[in-house]
Formats: sequence, structure tokens, C-alpha cells
Amino acid sequence: MSKHSLACEITGVWTQYGSTVIHRDLNLAVRTGEVMALVGGSGSGKTTLLRHIVGLTTPSRGEINLFGVNLAKLDREGARLARNRFGMLFQQGALFSALTVYDNIAFPLRELRQFDEESIHLLVMHKLALVELEPKHAWLLPAQLSGGMVKRVALARALALEPELLVLDEPTAGLDPDRSEKFVHLINNLKKQLGLTVVFVTHDLDTLVGMTDRVAVLADQHIIAACTLSELAHVDHPFAQNFFKGVHERLDRTDKWKTAPTH
Amino acid sequence: MAEAEFRVEDLSNGTKRVILTGAWSLRGVQNNFSELREHLSAFFGNPFTHWDLNGVEQLDSAAAVMLWTGWGKHVDQRMSLRPEHAALFNMLAALPAAHSLEAGRGSLMAPFILLWDKYLEFFGHLTGFLNLVGSLMFEFFYILRHPRNIPFKEISANFYKGGVQALPVTALVSFMIGIAMGYLMALQLRKFGADIFIVNIVGLAGVRELGPILMAIIVAGRSGSAMTAQIGVMRVTEEIDALSTMGISRTLRLILPKVIGLTLAAPLLAFWTSAWAIFGGMLAAKIQLGISMEFFLNYLPQVVVPVTLSLAIFKGLTFGILVTLIACHFGMRVMPNTESLSGSTTSSVVTAITTVILVDAVFAIVTRGIGL
Repeated sequence: MSKHSLACEITGVWTQYGSTVIHRDLNLAVRTGEVMALVGGSGSGKTTLLRHIVGLTTPSRGEINLFGVNLAKLDREGARLARNRFGMLFQQGALFSALTVYDNIAFPLRELRQFDEESIHLLVMHKLALVELEPKHAWLLPAQLSGGMVKRVALARALALEPELLVLDEPTAGLDPDRSEKFVHLINNLKKQLGLTVVFVTHDLDTLVGMTDRVAVLADQHIIAACTLSELAHVDHPFAQNFFKGVHERLDRTDKWKTAPTH
Repeated sequence: MAEAEFRVEDLSNGTKRVILTGAWSLRGVQNNFSELREHLSAFFGNPFTHWDLNGVEQLDSAAAVMLWTGWGKHVDQRMSLRPEHAALFNMLAALPAAHSLEAGRGSLMAPFILLWDKYLEFFGHLTGFLNLVGSLMFEFFYILRHPRNIPFKEISANFYKGGVQALPVTALVSFMIGIAMGYLMALQLRKFGADIFIVNIVGLAGVRELGPILMAIIVAGRSGSAMTAQIGVMRVTEEIDALSTMGISRTLRLILPKVIGLTLAAPLLAFWTSAWAIFGGMLAAKIQLGISMEFFLNYLPQVVVPVTLSLAIFKGLTFGILVTLIACHFGMRVMPNTESLSGSTTSSVVTAITTVILVDAVFAIVTRGIGL
């Protein structure tokens, strides 16, 4: 596989806080156009890894390349442009609480300084339609939204700059099963429409089975497996085995044995 | 990914055809749509230009919006599109038109509506404040009957945070002001040969005014803002609701300890502040006028009579209560967003200082016959 078709490449990453080692020589490659789930026990460093990927933190050692470039090595302007190629959905939404939904979504577009207000209005309405929110919701403040709406608005904001890579931290945590199913459906639709690469962390097996092409299992401070859900059965590790049991039931139920996407 | 580009062909009938190629997408980081729009504006203006989008690798919503607004928000026969592009333009056409919600209030009535809102807001603050004082009174009588429920730990923590930790800064500020005032007065008094009156001025001003006022201002800035922010954030993160569900009164646990702690600390702090102001003035008197410290201290009790000290204690208590109540009041009004948090904290400090100075002026007039 050529280097160009990797959306995200993590090589030899170590993360240490004092004497605590969180990642030990961690390697992972995310192919362009695939949906990759990151699973692991609580405190295994999944969110830390996501934060490394989007460049909020830098690993103690090792390198993380997004679309073949290392964010940490770019200058300010270059990093800003590179950051526009991915969107991040934070666990709590991280909407700007002083701005309305409209202004939240318009914010990254205005920062780009390429569009007039008329175009921004159309783009905001387009993003709201994409995440299946009504135009009247645009004038609400984040505090007035329900949990599911916060996630969808945050997703709309993450999508505002038409990213290639979408990083989701627990996208369905705190949503009821119905809402989380809809959210999964929404992400799948968007992936089809926009050709996204998605990396996400989840604890929710239904979300996992509903969205994932491949799953990366983070245990013992590194990725012990990166494979399709069905291949997880052959991974010899207690966490993976345990985990697969839950996945297996759901795979049987949905009869949705996924195979690796062909690229 | 290829850059977004276009070329222009002349057609046989004299019109032009604009052929777009490359990735018309924000993903191509080198694309700048405001520049592209400018380059294309000449063709946008011409109603006979034909557009060919068949060679476009990728068309995203941003590029589509740019083209669509350029075309006057419609697509017709002149545009040759691929089906997926047509779907995108159809979606754009179905979106609601620009801000219909922003047109609202009639301009003529707007100032009156604003005034009315302010008027209502003022009464909102007043009722909120009365509510707070009322519930505090209830809690106060409750703990008098149930002394086991007195939150001693919280009270002592607030006393320490608001009182003890404020000692260095209040000392420094009042000492400096004492010196500055002492020097200024010394120069004036020397002109009249009334050197000895420096004791009167420094002593009375220090105990009656500077001590309580400086204390109140510093406490409002230090503890008042902290209290507003703390209560505000606890409201935002629903910690206050968590307290309520555990059956713990928020007034009893959060507000009462603050009020009692700071109210107890305030008169002591006012004394401490006065002492340092007088010390500063004393130093200035010694250096500038040669009045010895022994003489200064001996003469001081004749000027600052005990009733003045009682007045200072009373002022300290009042200012302490006012600052804490105002801080808690604004804390309880914080809405769950960052703007409201910063606004409330600012209002808390500004209102507290203004109120304290207003009350001080009233005090000065009412007590003009006492101890002078």
C-alpha cells in the first residue's frame, strides 16, 4: 500500500507522564476512506491517542503523520491549513457556549475568510440539513440543546470545512439507544456522501458493529490488533477475546460480517 | 489532488464556455474561494456564459455555494453538470433563504423596549437579592435551633481564604496609601505650621475611612470575584443540583458559610488595614515633619476616641456582608455559558465596590456628629 493512501500513520509512539507509561512503541495506520474504531479498557489511553492524532498533545517519542505530514513540524500557517483537513468531535461537544448554534457552525467558515455572509448562511444551513437539524434550531444556544442535538451540532461544526478525516471521541456516549442508532446511521450516510475517513473511540458495541470497517485494540500500552471485527476472534489476548464475545453476539444478530474494505 | 482551475473557450455563436477542472473543494488547501470568485465574477455577470462542470474531480458544498450564488441562485440549461453535482445544487436550492429571523423589533420602539428590559432586570435583581437575604435568614434561624448543623468547617475555610490569606495584600496596599497620604498632608500642614494635626488626619482617616473602604475593595476584588465564579461554575456543572438532590441546602452549605466567614473576617481585616495605613502615615510624619513615633502613638488615643473604633467595626461588618451577599447573588444568576460567567463576575465586583462606596458616603453623613 502506498504511503499516500494512509490518512493517518502512527509510528513508534511513546507517551510518558513521569514514570507512568501510557503508550509503549505504538504503531497504527488508518487507510483513507475507512472507518476505524479504537477500543480498549478505561484508562488505556484511547483519548490521549486521539489528542495526539489531532495535535492537541505531542507524544514523548515517535511520529504521527496525517496525510503524510507531521503536524508538529509545520509552521503556523501550514499547520492551520493542515488542521482544516480534519474535524474533531469532542466527547462533550465542546460547543462555544456563548455563541448560537448558527455562529458555532459559522465560526470555522468565518475564520477561513473566503466567504461572504450570504454564502456562510447557505453553508451553515447545508451543514444543519446534513446532520438532520431544522433551521429554527440555528438560533438556540448550546445550553438549550439536548444531548443528542449537542452531538449533532458539534458534528456539523466538525464538518463545516469539509474535512477528509473525522475524529470522534465517544460519539454515542450519553445517547439513548435510539438516538445512538440514528447517529451511527448519520455518520454512515455522511461517510458515503462526503467520502470521509473516520477514527473514533467508543465503548458502545452497537455503535462499533454499526459503523466500523476495522477495529484497533489498545491494550498493554500498544495496539495489539488492527483488523476487521470478525478477525478479532483470532486475536489471542484476554481483552480482545472478552471483547469479541460481545461483538460476536451482535454480529450474529445483525448478520453483518464485514470484511476489510478493498483499496 | 489537483488544484481548482478553469479555462475559457470561445463558442461559435460568440458566447463563452467556462470549463472547470480539478478539485473544487476546501480539501485542496491551496484553493482560495474568494480569489476564485473574483476571477469568475466577469463570467458570473454574463447571462450567456456556458458552464461545464464535467471535468471536476470533486465538488464540495463550499464550492457549490460559491458557484450557485454566482449564478444567481439557480441552475439552468447553460450549466452542464454531473448527476451528483445536480443533487448538491438541488439540496442548496431547498435550503431556507437568508436570515428571516433577524428582522424584528421596530426601530422606533427599540430604545423604550431596551429601557423597559433594563427596568425589569433591575427588579429581577432586587427580588433575587431579597430572596437570597430571606433564605439566609431562614437558614440562620434554622441553625440557631439546630446547632449541630452549623457548617463550622466551611465557615473556618472561608474565614481563612477570605480573611487570613488577604492579610499581606491589604497590609501592603494600605501601608503605601498611608505613606502617600502622610507625605501629602505633611507638606500642606507645614505651610500653616499645624504639623501636629497630621496625627488627627492620619488617625481619623485611617480608622474611619481608609481601613474599611480599602478592605472592602480588596475583598470584593479577591474573594467576591472568587465566590461569584465558584458558585457560577458549580451552577454550570450542576454541582449545586447534586447538592440539592442529596438533601443538602445550598444556602446552608454554600452561601451561609461565605457570609458568616467573611463577615467575621471583615472587621478584623479593616482593623489590620487601618493599622498599616496609620503606620505608613506615622513613618511619613517622622521623616517629613520629625514627629517621633512615641509622640504619635501617645497623641493618637486623644484623637481616635473609642466610639470611632466601634464605628469602624460596624462599617467593616456591613461592608463584609454587602460584598459577600452581592457576590453570592451574582453567582446564583450565572447562566450555563462562558459569557454569562464573565459578565456576572464583572458585575459582582463592580456592584460590590459601588455599593460599598455609596453606603460609605451615607455613613459619613449620618455619623458626622459621632467621635469627631
